[in-house]
Amino acid sequence: MNQKRLFLRPCTWVYVTLMFLTFITWFVGVNNLSGRFFAFMVLGFALLKGQLIGDYFMGLKQVAGLWRWVIFIWLALVGTLISVAFWQTL
Amino acid sequence: MKYQSQKVAKLYFIAAIGLFVGQILFGLIIGAQYIWGDFLFPEIPFNVARMVHTNLLIVWLLFGFMGAAYYLVPEEAETDLVMPWLATLMFWIFLAAGAATILGYLLVPYSSLAELTQNDLLPTMGREFLEQPTITKLGIVVVALAFLANIGLTILKGRKTVINLVLLMGLAGLAVFFLFSFFNPVNIVWDKYYWWWVVHLWVEGVWELILGSILAFILIKTTGVDREVIEKWLYVIIAMTLITGIVGTGHHYYWIGTPEFWQWWGSIFSAMEPIPFFMMTVFAFNMVNKRRRNHPNKAAVLWALGTAVMAFLGAGVWGFLHTLAPVNYYTHGTQITAAHGHMAFYGAYVMINLAIISYAMPLLRGREAANSNKSQVLEMWGFWLMTISIIFITLFLTAAGILQVYLQRFSDSPMPFMVVQEKIELFYVLRELTGLVFLAGLIVYIASSFVGSNEPEATAEGEVVAS
Amino acid sequence: MTGMEKNRWPPGDLVIWIFIMAELLVFGVFFAAYAFTRTNHVELFNTYQLTLDRNAALINTVALITSSYFVVRAVAAIRVDDSRRCFHWLLAALAMGLLFLVVKGAEYHHHFSQGINLNTNTFYMFYLSLTFFHFLHVILGMIILLAVALKARSGGYSAAEHTGVETGASYWHMVDLVWMVLFPLVYVMR
Ligand code: HEM
Ligand code: HEM
Ligand SMILES: [Fe+2]
Repeated sequence: MNQKRLFLRPCTWVYVTLMFLTFITWFVGVNNLSGRFFAFMVLGFALLKGQLIGDYFMGLKQVAGLWRWVIFIWLALVGTLISVAFWQTL
Repeated sequence: MKYQSQKVAKLYFIAAIGLFVGQILFGLIIGAQYIWGDFLFPEIPFNVARMVHTNLLIVWLLFGFMGAAYYLVPEEAETDLVMPWLATLMFWIFLAAGAATILGYLLVPYSSLAELTQNDLLPTMGREFLEQPTITKLGIVVVALAFLANIGLTILKGRKTVINLVLLMGLAGLAVFFLFSFFNPVNIVWDKYYWWWVVHLWVEGVWELILGSILAFILIKTTGVDREVIEKWLYVIIAMTLITGIVGTGHHYYWIGTPEFWQWWGSIFSAMEPIPFFMMTVFAFNMVNKRRRNHPNKAAVLWALGTAVMAFLGAGVWGFLHTLAPVNYYTHGTQITAAHGHMAFYGAYVMINLAIISYAMPLLRGREAANSNKSQVLEMWGFWLMTISIIFITLFLTAAGILQVYLQRFSDSPMPFMVVQEKIELFYVLRELTGLVFLAGLIVYIASSFVGSNEPEATAEGEVVAS
Repeated sequence: MTGMEKNRWPPGDLVIWIFIMAELLVFGVFFAAYAFTRTNHVELFNTYQLTLDRNAALINTVALITSSYFVVRAVAAIRVDDSRRCFHWLLAALAMGLLFLVVKGAEYHHHFSQGINLNTNTFYMFYLSLTFFHFLHVILGMIILLAVALKARSGGYSAAEHTGVETGASYWHMVDLVWMVLFPLVYVMR
């Protein structure tokens, strides 16, 4: 956490971003917004959130080699499978 | 061997191997009856011989586990057993009860045995693996309680290591789940439901804890790797075992009248059960690669590595093969199941017992660390003969199973059971021949403890490169 | 964590990462099973998804993210050798975990009082199984965090040696991560 700061620690920026994306997802949810656009938007947000958590909270950004990508690979696989399944029905 | 009371393990190990021989002989008998239906009829009917084969298997594995516990618990706790005499007494009681039960199976028709032992008072007989008369089951409970008290108090008194605690958890779980063998609801769905709490939660639950802790013990002893590292692995292995194995019971609840959600729970969780077995393989090889020294008992290391590989193949791979509900719909109760049962039982529980026996027996017999080279070479022949035989038995049964599934259940014009059985007879012949090789391997294995006793101990050769 | 120097291993004990991978695999299979089963019951899933409480899910998502953030701060604190602060951040994280359990518990209470169970229909089977499996992970994660917190309080970690804190933190982030996918998948996507 000794990196250069923009007002806040990097992890705090990430936190704010996560909250923001969460509220949008919730907004889509409570308004029952449906269809490809909204579904894939919130899925995309989820994957992005996951990557942020992996990079900044779990600290994988500081790791070299294959371990750097474990979370990314998982998100990519899960994201692909969910996308394939939802694509057909939306 | 550091503590006098560890000696009692020797009795248990010898009895285990003796009963193992019996198990294999009866395996050969039922194997022959698959080919010649009236072989030894009416003296030893198939159902009786099968029961003897499977019950001897369970009983000798229990003897082995108890021996292993009596050996390793004092060493880990760094104190003598609190009640060595009780361990000896229980040995004779267990052996006598076991022998009487097997004789009962062989000498009296099963229904008369039930009458004779007052099964009516508390009916528990007549279910696979749990065929023992109620009185024998009660005897098992008494032996188990005395055993748990003995090692529990020893652990309480001495050093508490992760290995000992995991082992104790596994053994206590073994006893607790056995209690469900007394529970015999009239409704056949509930009957089956709880029957699996014994059978499945044993081999895919608490026994895995026993397996993990014995394996960890052998690896610590033979590789000299830090205990801390080994313990961490043990933690994740048992956590994963329990997470997947408990709900994984659902893979037996697909078609017995239980609610549909079990098809999901069973499929998803049991599909993950290979993970802890895979971790065990990685664990074992990792530790051996990182070894600080070469142990002179090469046979024991071979058994330990063999366990990790074969347990993964038998339980992990062959289990996964038929564990998803849509697959199990076709394979349920076919030779595929028997193929898996053989490799999993052998790979996990037979081999871990032979591994601890291989490690402990030379020490119990007064060696410093290992048997002579000559004896070890023979023992390793036994290892390969038995292991390769079981692989082939599994492959033949798998081939028989695939044909059976196709001809009897999958093809457009399904054939009756017995017609199909005739068509796949070739594989039963091959299974029986391979079984003879297995028996030869077992004889070689036993012979290895009688050769080279006068020769000097094997020494660890070669420098260790790993850090 | 300074400069451009990269680490070879992820933070915490490597064994926890093996465990995390195994856990992620189980969840991943579960998510895929949900998504593909839904393709055969779109109407049913869309209908019953409406009975879920999105506001509760929002509170829970916020709780987990916040909790995860607190854990990040706890790790940062111990890296500058501040055990007390580390302990306090962990307590705050645990409080957020507790909030999650309470809100989720209230949701379950609501469903169960309506007589809903695993056999009601395929949607509820998945909803209850998935969220409950995750619920158990929250509990397990909290137990781990509690153990770490207690050790931190008694000064068991330092700037030089705090693998335990990172290990617990990594596991807790995984519990958070999984919920990030679960929330839109089960509560929102339609
Ligand atoms: C060392 C561990 C294991 C042992 C000793 C073992 C042994 C057995 C045995 C003896 C049976 C037959 C039970 C009977 O119906 O009489 C059986 C059935 C079964 N096992 Fe295992 N097993 C092990 C691990 C596993 C694992 C890890 C899986 C899944 C990945 C699995 C999947 C199954 C399934 C699906 C059946 C039911 C087969 C059927 O429907 O007929 N087993 N197992
Ligand atoms: C000489 C070698 C062996 C032969 C010829 C043999 C043969 C057999 C036969 C014919 C059955 C009955 C299968 C049925 O009813 O469909 C059986 C069952 C069984 N055997 Fe063996 N066996 C041998 C070795 C072993 C070994 C070494 C083990 C364990 C390590 C073992 C474990 C079992 C088990 C668990 C069952 C019950 C399987 C089930 O219900 O699916 N057998 N065996
Ligand atoms: Fe099972």
